[in-house]
Amino acid sequence: MAETEKVFDRETLLDLTVNVIPLGILTIFFAAYIVFNPFGFDSVISGVQLAIIGTSAVLLAILTYYSGAAVSRAENRQEALEEKEAAELEAEDAAAEDATEADDDTAEA
Amino acid sequence: MAAEQLLLTGLMGVLLVAVVALLTRVEDWRSYTPLAGGGGYGGEATHAHEEKPGGLVRWLTTVDHKDIGMLYGLYAIIAFAVGGLMAVGIRFQLITPEGALFGNQFYNAILTSHGITMLFLFGTPIIAAFANYFVPLLIGADDMAFPRINAIAFWLLPFGAILIWGGFFLEPVTGGTIQAAQTSWTMYTPLSVEQVNPGVDLMLLGLHLTGVSATMGAINFIATIFTERGDDVNWANLDIFSWTILTQSGLILFSFPLLGSALVMLLMDRNLGTTFFAAEGGGAMLWQHLFWFFGHPEVYILVLPPMGLVSLILPKFSGRKLFGFKFVVYSTLAIGVLSFGVWAHHMFSTGMDPRLQASFMAVSLAIAVPSAVKTFNWITTMWNGSLRLTTPMLFCIGFVSNFIIGGITGVFLASVPVDLVLHDTYYVVGHFHYIVMGAIGFAVFAGLYYWFPIFTGRMYQKRLGKWHFWLSMIGTNVTFFALLLLGYLGMPRRYATYEFGPGVAPLNLVELSHQAASVGAFILLVGQLIFVYNLVVSWLEGPEVDEGDPWDLEETGQKTKEFVWHEDKISTALTDGGDEEIATDGGEKATATDDEDEDVMTDGGNAESAADSE
Ligand code: HEM
Ligand SMILES: [Cu+2]
Repeated sequence: MAETEKVFDRETLLDLTVNVIPLGILTIFFAAYIVFNPFGFDSVISGVQLAIIGTSAVLLAILTYYSGAAVSRAENRQEALEEKEAAELEAEDAAAEDATEADDDTAEA
Repeated sequence: MAAEQLLLTGLMGVLLVAVVALLTRVEDWRSYTPLAGGGGYGGEATHAHEEKPGGLVRWLTTVDHKDIGMLYGLYAIIAFAVGGLMAVGIRFQLITPEGALFGNQFYNAILTSHGITMLFLFGTPIIAAFANYFVPLLIGADDMAFPRINAIAFWLLPFGAILIWGGFFLEPVTGGTIQAAQTSWTMYTPLSVEQVNPGVDLMLLGLHLTGVSATMGAINFIATIFTERGDDVNWANLDIFSWTILTQSGLILFSFPLLGSALVMLLMDRNLGTTFFAAEGGGAMLWQHLFWFFGHPEVYILVLPPMGLVSLILPKFSGRKLFGFKFVVYSTLAIGVLSFGVWAHHMFSTGMDPRLQASFMAVSLAIAVPSAVKTFNWITTMWNGSLRLTTPMLFCIGFVSNFIIGGITGVFLASVPVDLVLHDTYYVVGHFHYIVMGAIGFAVFAGLYYWFPIFTGRMYQKRLGKWHFWLSMIGTNVTFFALLLLGYLGMPRRYATYEFGPGVAPLNLVELSHQAASVGAFILLVGQLIFVYNLVVSWLEGPEVDEGDPWDLEETGQKTKEFVWHEDKISTALTDGGDEEIATDGGEKATATDDEDEDVMTDGGNAESAADSE
């Protein structure tokens, strides 16, 4: 959707890379512990083992997603507001200029 | 007999009422007056339409976030002094192998109390002090979301302290039936269940109270930051300190209730015969899991806001904005989440399944990344900046330096094979003291000096500030580096004496290192005496600060809301012509006194490097 596209623009994604690094480390360990398993497989222990890493990673991803979205949306709104204010200011300026010009005209006349 | 007692009670009642009445007359404690009335309602405490009562009653009844912040601060500094003197006692004891000062039991009591005092009665409250005073100002809120809950949260703390320290007072009175707890701050079972001393119960109850207090505070901060922000403050421009307080409050919310439950279970095991932690019940390991599921987040509860303070203050004296602001925000949140997935790195040597150890190692290594990211951000912020080495800045730099050593030793400990060698040695003690004293303590000092003009209306003596910094920096590194060495030598922690056989540790070197650590502790003590002296004397008679921007933040475009508020307060006071205090105190117009500020004027920041976005 257009909305999400705008929320996760390039800059926001770049900011979020900082959390992608620990996520990557967790993912690597997750995979490594599946592949290398010198202590054997036990459904409970191995399940807990992977759950500890997995849950941490998933929760981190979720929080990063929502905080990134919240910050980015706030930013967009702020920018929009600033643009609007700038436009209004310009319009006011223009109006004021018109008025002075008009004044000049009448004065000259 | 009964009549006599009745009479006595009545007399006591009258006396109490008289005392209270008297206290209400004790008008304005001079030191506090710059705060009187908060914003612009003049400082004439005697008038009938004054919003706050005068004297001590004001402090007992206040719900103003700034006042409560001051109360937290006073409380925390007293606790810091108590805990610090205990530490000095510990270091004095260990100058000689046979113990120079206490018997073993009293040593254990002091050690336990030192840890609990510093973490729960100093650490958490001093952060709450800053947060209460400054978060509402920084986010443009009128006050906290729930001012009364705020007051209740504070007032639980003194009772917590009385209970925690209770054993020390009751020991002489009860002839030793009730003693100070000797459980160590981790309260490991079965020891903590089996010690019959009722002082342990008192301590557990006290801890429970402080936990309730912290939880109430956390809920309040979350509500405040979510709902009370000013119109112009949003998630995109929320300041870094408020971000860290928000994250910290989240951690408190998820971890302190767990501590509370575990404490209740322990109390029940002790007093009601339940078997939560007995071998035939949940087992001793259950306690360790519950405790550290709280305990590890707790260490981040203590370190995140100080990181926020440094992230806020350090750029102000580097002449530019914080490098990678968003990185710092997101890595704060990452630390918040990950800190719940590492707790068993405190339990590697308990014989836990190696597959589980491997997991906790993985998450512990991952959590080091966001911490490192912040460190790089601080360094980059200073890199080629125009640094102004004011006292708060020195403490920020000291923070970064100490945090690097503390953090890296932590990463080593997170690795299972290394930890199996170093666990329960002084290396661990060195690791976390680099952080709790070298980093958290330093950030607290930075915050106190940086905002000193706001909460006192005066400026501290800058030379003493620098003495304080250098003595603290040298003392910290001498003491805690010696502890790291002791750990490598194999010196186990929590021992009142160290007359081992030479097979355990090379005794000469151990003794020497202990003595070095004690010398460092003495240097630290001198530094803190200077700090307290400076705090008190400058508060009472330091030069008044009558400009809104004592640090020249405007030049680099970094003036934040709390200093704008400060400026407003000063200018309303002046234009009203009514603020008695400023006018009468010392009599002279402010300009005469104010050029003793920090060296801000000479250094003047350069504006060019101020980055664009926050
Ligand atoms: C860089 C991230 C960190 C890592 C990887 C880390 C790792 C560790 C490990 C593995 C231990 C257990 C050592 C043992 O008992 O054998 C430990 C102990 C400790 N750490 Fe850290 N740490 C880190 C940061 C911190 C921070 C920021 C604080 C404080 C705010 C802290 C405070 C403590 C404390 C208080 C203990 C000792 C607890 C006790 O047994 O009494 N650590 N750390
Ligand atoms: Cu930990």
